[in-house]
Amino acid sequence: MTPLAMLLTLSSLMFTLGLLAVLTRRNAILVLVGIELMLNAANINFIGFWRYGPSDPALTGPMFVLFSIAIAAAEAAVGLAIILMVFRHTRSTDLNKLDSLHG
Amino acid sequence: MIPLLILTPLILLAALGAVWKARPVHAALLLALTLALNAILYLVLSADFIGLIQFMVYVGAVAVLIVFSLLITRPGDEAEEIARRPRSLVTGLACSLPVLAVMLFIVSRFENAGQAVADARSVSIEQLGTTLFTTHAPAVMAVGVLLTAVMIGAALFAREPGKKTQTPSDS
Repeated sequence: MTPLAMLLTLSSLMFTLGLLAVLTRRNAILVLVGIELMLNAANINFIGFWRYGPSDPALTGPMFVLFSIAIAAAEAAVGLAIILMVFRHTRSTDLNKLDSLHG
Repeated sequence: MIPLLILTPLILLAALGAVWKARPVHAALLLALTLALNAILYLVLSADFIGLIQFMVYVGAVAVLIVFSLLITRPGDEAEEIARRPRSLVTGLACSLPVLAVMLFIVSRFENAGQAVADARSVSIEQLGTTLFTTHAPAVMAVGVLLTAVMIGAALFAREPGKKTQTPSDS
């Protein structure tokens, strides 16, 4: 197994774990944890392709990861702010109880 | 190659713990561990600056933010979570395993075509900074605008509604 294939496998498994967390967790904050795992799996791919792929003077891989980290931080901040606002209204972060739009 | 062989199972174990642990604070701390191990992975892959940024932003800010939010919201007891785990796990696995299968299939196909580049590739901070502020300058500005908007938005969301902020003239 080449190092690149190993990194890609690691990132696939990590993405799946993140997806599993998003689908199975009921606490909204732990769903965010799953989303962070998925974002990190994507970042591993970028770094892996940059490190073991063809030479790239424009540094596209690391650049993409830098921007991805900035946007992930923004996403976490807004996500947690929304969850805190929901918590103030309903006194709960359980996603099963947030069904007021349910028909 | 050897550091990769050591780091990969550690990262996967920590990520599995973050997904599996019923107690939310444990899950959040294991996420922090996963992110820290990821930063070490970037250092091993000679992306030093990215590793440091990952450590500062993800471990230092995002993971701590998540732990603090858990402390503020005081999630319910984990017995309920464990009780309904089997059903949600079946659904979750049924949805995520096909995704994993597709990704692993693509990776296995890819392995045949690509070969590893052996040269030691690294990126200096100077190189990174030059590229960032020349080629990608518009994107940096866009991210700056985005982060400002996010800061204002998060402050608005988190503000207590109907509560007037104290100005020095009020007191």
